[in-house]
Amino acid sequence: MITREWPMYRVVLENLQLLPLLPRFNLKPGFGELSVDEVCRSHGVNTDFFLEIANAYLDELYMPGEGLSLFSLGTMVNYISATHSYYKDIALPSVELKLHRLMEHSRLTEKEINLLTTFFNDYKKDFMIHLSQEEEGILPYVLELEKQAAMEKPDPEFILKLQKYSIREFEQEHDRLETSLKHLSELIIKYLPPFDDLQLCHQVLNDLSALMKDLVDHADVEDKVLIPRVAELERSLLNSVSSG
Amino acid sequence: MRIRSFILVIDSYLARKGMVALLNRIHGLRVLKEFGAKEAFLPYLESRSVDYIVIDQHAFQHWSGLFISNPGLLEKTILLEYAHKEDLVQEVSTSDVKASIHLMEDRDSLIAKIRNLLDRQDRDPESPSLHLSPREITIVRLVSMGLTNREIAEKLFLSTHTVMSHRKNINSKLGIKSISGLTIYAIVNNIITIEEVSSLPAK
Repeated sequence: MITREWPMYRVVLENLQLLPLLPRFNLKPGFGELSVDEVCRSHGVNTDFFLEIANAYLDELYMPGEGLSLFSLGTMVNYISATHSYYKDIALPSVELKLHRLMEHSRLTEKEINLLTTFFNDYKKDFMIHLSQEEEGILPYVLELEKQAAMEKPDPEFILKLQKYSIREFEQEHDRLETSLKHLSELIIKYLPPFDDLQLCHQVLNDLSALMKDLVDHADVEDKVLIPRVAELERSLLNSVSSG
Repeated sequence: MRIRSFILVIDSYLARKGMVALLNRIHGLRVLKEFGAKEAFLPYLESRSVDYIVIDQHAFQHWSGLFISNPGLLEKTILLEYAHKEDLVQEVSTSDVKASIHLMEDRDSLIAKIRNLLDRQDRDPESPSLHLSPREITIVRLVSMGLTNREIAEKLFLSTHTVMSHRKNINSKLGIKSISGLTIYAIVNNIITIEEVSSLPAK
């Protein structure tokens, strides 16, 4: 488990899978001897939050602990938005580009190429819809909730809305975006004819696998950390209003 | 497949190490921590997500109070028996545990039992294809061949409305909305071959 005293360069060197996490905190390699805590502070990042996220990312069995109540929902919302940007601006376009290059230099039939292209386009569309629903609906709601909960007299209209809606509803319709990526990998490994550009083929599969893992972790952050905390805040706000 | 986490509460050093060696042969699980019979393992359970506890019968008796007050724990418990059940003074019924294994059981039977346990759980939420009904599988197949709802309805002697409601159920079961997504799903689940897929996926 990573702790605050570790030199940041060692954390990253020994856990290269953390690389995609760094831009979400505006961190770039070139850390020198600075510790995790020093790097975080100098970039205005909450060290405890970084540690919780990094540890959860490295160990799928790590359960974010009580450290989580230490930071604001705003911090989490920022992180989630930064993660979305990483998917939209870096991860998805990169896989897409490689997939297209792979198809160009392949012996796939026109039908197979068509199938893959349509599949990826549709997937990207669904992915974007999913992200924008969160960004336009859920995240602003979470921020507003935190703001209202801090007020002495919360807005009655917001309370009225709160009595009808709970974040738990979102949880029920929370799609798993990684499933289709798994199908795509399986299609390439098992069903399509071999690709000549082996190196590129491996890159595509590695990218897909990294993205899948990232999506699972991200869904965990939302489902196991964000939603329970928001639900708790909803409850306590409603209680305080009804008792006050 | 999600990786299942195990902890062991086994007093005998040899039995404990033997259990670790055995579990390490099984794909899809990880032993997080080992405890002796009287070491308190509850605090650990509260800090980590643990799927299974392999506990020997003496430790099980020692901690029976804990199991009585936390019935949820029994759902995670794999009991390692040393003696015959009748020899035990029982405070908690050992039949309430998730599974039992015996110290004298042979390797293959132990592996099969644990493998079974993991498979049973995997099947529940994560392998959706097993939840599609035969009719739904037929519809996925026809959708992948490029048929419209109306064409599927005619072919299966159903109303278009019924086909649409099947489609809706399929979408929510698989979490796949697009036709191309369903098509790829159908290929990797051997519902259809690439050759049979419609040449121009319908929009």
